[in-house]
Amino acid sequence: MAQAPDRSTVSPNPASQDPVSPAPSQRKLEDRTKAVFILPAVFWILAFTVFPLLYALYTSFFSFRFGQINQFVGLQNFGRLFTDGNLHSDLRITLIFVASTVAVEMVLGFALALLLNQEMRGQNVLRAIMTLPLFATPVAVGYLGITIYLETNGPINTFIRALGGQGIPWLSHPVWALVAIIIIDIWQWTPFVFLVSLAGLQSLPQDLYEAAEVDGGAGWQLFRYITLPLMAPVLWLILLLRLVEAFKVFDIPTSLTLGGPGRATEVYSLYTYRTALRFFDHGYAAAQGFLLLFIVMLIVTLLYGRIRELYQEEA
Amino acid sequence: MRQRRSLAGNILLAGVILILLFWVLFPFYWAFLNSIKKPADTFQSSWIPFLQFQPTLEHWRNELAIPEIRRALWNSTVISVGAASLASVLGTLAAYALARFHFHKPQNGTLTTWFLSQRVLPPVVVVIPFFLLMRQLHLLDSVVALILLNATFTLPFPVIILSQMIRDLPLELEEAAWVDGASRFQSFLQIVVPLILPGLVATWIIAMAFSWNEFLFALSLTTKKAIPMPVIIAGAEHTRGVQFWFVGVRVLMTMLPPLFLALLAQRWIIRGLTLGAVKG
Repeated sequence: MAQAPDRSTVSPNPASQDPVSPAPSQRKLEDRTKAVFILPAVFWILAFTVFPLLYALYTSFFSFRFGQINQFVGLQNFGRLFTDGNLHSDLRITLIFVASTVAVEMVLGFALALLLNQEMRGQNVLRAIMTLPLFATPVAVGYLGITIYLETNGPINTFIRALGGQGIPWLSHPVWALVAIIIIDIWQWTPFVFLVSLAGLQSLPQDLYEAAEVDGGAGWQLFRYITLPLMAPVLWLILLLRLVEAFKVFDIPTSLTLGGPGRATEVYSLYTYRTALRFFDHGYAAAQGFLLLFIVMLIVTLLYGRIRELYQEEA
Repeated sequence: MRQRRSLAGNILLAGVILILLFWVLFPFYWAFLNSIKKPADTFQSSWIPFLQFQPTLEHWRNELAIPEIRRALWNSTVISVGAASLASVLGTLAAYALARFHFHKPQNGTLTTWFLSQRVLPPVVVVIPFFLLMRQLHLLDSVVALILLNATFTLPFPVIILSQMIRDLPLELEEAAWVDGASRFQSFLQIVVPLILPGLVATWIIAMAFSWNEFLFALSLTTKKAIPMPVIIAGAEHTRGVQFWFVGVRVLMTMLPPLFLALLAQRWIIRGLTLGAVKG
């Protein structure tokens, strides 16, 4: 997708006027300079992403004992993915988590952006405040959640009781525990949808609206036929980033509920982590990892085409 | 959309903003409140220090005196500064290459996507090979291992954002230097780097905050001496029970550095989090 502008390939030596075919010696120098700039990062990724991925693929063909390679088992670890009931229930929990958090965050964040996209005092302060949840250490938020959701005298239940209601068994009931995690994720990531949508809205061309208003367009029509189509690429991008990030969820369930009660909030990554580093079943954990990677790649592939235009202009 | 708002509209707007502020800020205030309450006061619903209860700094003093906490704070600092600096050096070089050179095999676009894909990869996929690899290299429970890994996962920030910035710089500035006999490296260091410094600092800060907050690798690869703050607080309640004051202090000690960093890089955050696609 990237076509570097031609002039950027101009050789540093002004003697070579023709950028397409510099003198052979010049060309070699240029190639070497290019390499020095790009190769450190390329090698870095080869060493710390590509190699580990290949190594994970290799491990996925073996069974392990006491954390050491035991024997070659072929595709057996991948076969287990289809028969492991625990994995299936954890995948289901993760899907519920992803669907509900991302849906609420998208709707709420975009609605807030539409509502607050107007001239008003203190908008910069508001935006600064909205970035705070994004950078609040997730484990710390989950840990703090233990006190906020506390059933006996946490602030939420105290408030509910003051209104005459019954305290909610936040962390001891399987459904409520998942809801508790979903609420924290919504707290943390709705600001992201809000901030990015707001930035998108503020870059929309104002003259379009003025022209439409002259033609008698108003309210809902402006939104439906101007705002929404123009915002579509940004919204698809937000959706992609949120989906990918939500599937990785690990920190908050691990610190808030440890996957409990029972396994009610054991999300996918937590199960894989346990398979690998509690039960030292490295081969099977690697196979699980590839299933998650496959799911994420599927989402990226499905959505990337729609987002391309956002990256195209500058690439 | 510039419209005059009615009074009812204004009231509605103010109401929404108030609810929003309360919702966003409540957890932070709750943590702060508990960190300065005496244990006896924690179970009373009191919200205003000095008026409703006498605040105390004893929990902060107690916690900061614990050797494990001091070490974790130090480890977190070393890991995030180290990882962000490493990612910045590698990333700035690569950003310059992507912006100023024409690559054929693979092409610039493929390379960019390759760097971007780093942020898509679920970390749990590579946690096993990293664990086995670091065990082999005797780097388990070392800050070095976490510096290396966090540098890898924050590398996309400088690469994408700085290559955009460099592309926006007029090439003439560098060409003039080349005419005067400067090399690529000289024009890069003396002309390009100073001009993209704001972006470089911002991505360094964002990478630092991300590395500070990282949890999965830290949990998997540390056991004692390299433990950073996020690992210290996870699971702590199982040994000490839910003590509000103690939770409050530890949560704030962990969160405040990245929150502060986020406010410093405020202008760049949207660009950073959308990997350059949306400029805030």
